[in-house]
Amino acid sequence: MTEDPIVVRELGKDYGKFTALSSLKLTIPDGTCFGYLGPNGAGKSTTIKILTNLIRPSRGRAQIFGIDVQRRPRDALRRVGAVIETPEFYGYLSPRETLAYAGRLRGMSRADIHARTEEVLKVVKLANWSDERIETFSKGMKQRLAIAQALLHRPDLLILDEPTSGLDPRGMAEVRDIVKALKREGHTIFMSSHLLGEVQEVCDAAALIDKGKLVLQGTLAELAARAEASAFQAMFLQAPSTEDLAWMRGLGGVKDAVASGNGGVELRIAGGPETQAAVLASLVSRGLRVTSFRLVGTALEQLYLETIQETEQ
Amino acid sequence: MMDRKDLSQAWTVAVYEIRKYLRGRRLLGMLILLALIVGLLLGLPKALGQPYPSDPDRFVASFAQFASILIVLCGVLFAADALVSEHEKRTGYFLFPNPVRRETIVVGKLLASLLASGFIILLYYAAAILSALVITGGVTGAMGLSAAYALAYMASVVGVAFLLSAILRGTISASVLTFFLFTLIFTLVDGLLNAAKVSPWFVPTAAAGIIGNVLAPPSPFPGPGGGVFTAFNPDVGASLAVFAAYFLVGGIVATVLFRRRELKS
Repeated sequence: MTEDPIVVRELGKDYGKFTALSSLKLTIPDGTCFGYLGPNGAGKSTTIKILTNLIRPSRGRAQIFGIDVQRRPRDALRRVGAVIETPEFYGYLSPRETLAYAGRLRGMSRADIHARTEEVLKVVKLANWSDERIETFSKGMKQRLAIAQALLHRPDLLILDEPTSGLDPRGMAEVRDIVKALKREGHTIFMSSHLLGEVQEVCDAAALIDKGKLVLQGTLAELAARAEASAFQAMFLQAPSTEDLAWMRGLGGVKDAVASGNGGVELRIAGGPETQAAVLASLVSRGLRVTSFRLVGTALEQLYLETIQETEQ
Repeated sequence: MMDRKDLSQAWTVAVYEIRKYLRGRRLLGMLILLALIVGLLLGLPKALGQPYPSDPDRFVASFAQFASILIVLCGVLFAADALVSEHEKRTGYFLFPNPVRRETIVVGKLLASLLASGFIILLYYAAAILSALVITGGVTGAMGLSAAYALAYMASVVGVAFLLSAILRGTISASVLTFFLFTLIFTLVDGLLNAAKVSPWFVPTAAAGIIGNVLAPPSPFPGPGGGVFTAFNPDVGASLAVFAAYFLVGGIVATVLFRRRELKS
């Protein structure tokens, strides 16, 4: 029987009286690209650090491919590639030497290390820097190298903690493309992020964690369906009156309408594209001269914000 | 127990640690210091018109008295930051998620420290013995024993440096404490125990007396009030046991602490 790549049961972590993680239960099936969402300090990195044996849980257990990470870390981490925060590397080594170090620790042959080093450095666009010392590298370049070392041994499971952190927009897009390519190749990916768009673009399923507790979990479609509304920004040639705003609030599917300045209105619309189109048609038929009507917050974002607000209350 | 894979990983860690010493110019720095000490010991008597000791053992004894400071500097440069730097400099985020036991990492780093420090000490003794051969025309077995005792003392310094590296939070504090522990604190304890007429056999700096004593045994000298004072003459067996104890306890406790320490920051 094939073991699930990640199984976490009643996992908890305390730092003195502060509970960073509370009774977490998660199962990541094989071949899934799983987004792990939450605000800063929610417990995402704590979970990932337990999974990669950087810290010990206060209670519960974490298994990777059926192997307990705390009891048998060497066996558990054998099939894992991980990028945790923005790691630092030994400044006196080059990327090629760093990958050789990781490869040798993982028992790869010299020929395999050489071949894979060329491949992964190309993938992360560091081939031209392969023999330069890392001490001169920017944070973004170190992040690319971190991804390269995670891919070196063709891992079955990739654990990525904020993989686009520290990258410029182009670098972020490139990392997302790498993750999507790995997903197509059938790798299981567990990726933490606080960027909802990123998770929505690359993941199949996601969990939302807040204050150390799991608050939502499901496929992206399931989560989107749970959202009460999506947010739209409507811009008008002339700012709508107070009466217009009150009228908008009465339209079918509209949960709220708030003036957002410069002749704009933010509408929260429940329902799918049919409802959204009907709202737009109503605005036009009332004689409001709409100059633009665009989605500003996806259903997942709305769900995220609603859920985080709920837990704060 | 370590299996074959652990040993192979420990060797890999050791190789990359030695590369750190080479690229970071620590090894070069120690070689320059070694050359300076040898140069001064050979050049100063000549410059001052003083004759070299004619006895080969006494000749090498003048080198042996500086071996201790060289050993402490080896501990500072090759051992004191070995463990703490993985946390402080966040390189642990690269190293620890690999399928390698923390114990294996400690063993690899310890091996690198011992190899680099041992290389410096042996080179220093090689220079001393070669000079003795050229200048006095003699080489004795005591010189080899002195070198062996120096290596044993070096192991105890490395063990304690690793312990401090596992306990402390910063590389600078670990390095500074290692240095002052062996150049000031232990020497102070040694002196106080001597004054209180308590044998300081268990203090590593006192036990390190065997390095020089095997070449030139301590002789009585006039003390306060017209009496005769004889410096503490450590027993060889007890001193070697003390070195072994400091090395083993330091290394084992460092391993346990390093294994338990979490990478939080």
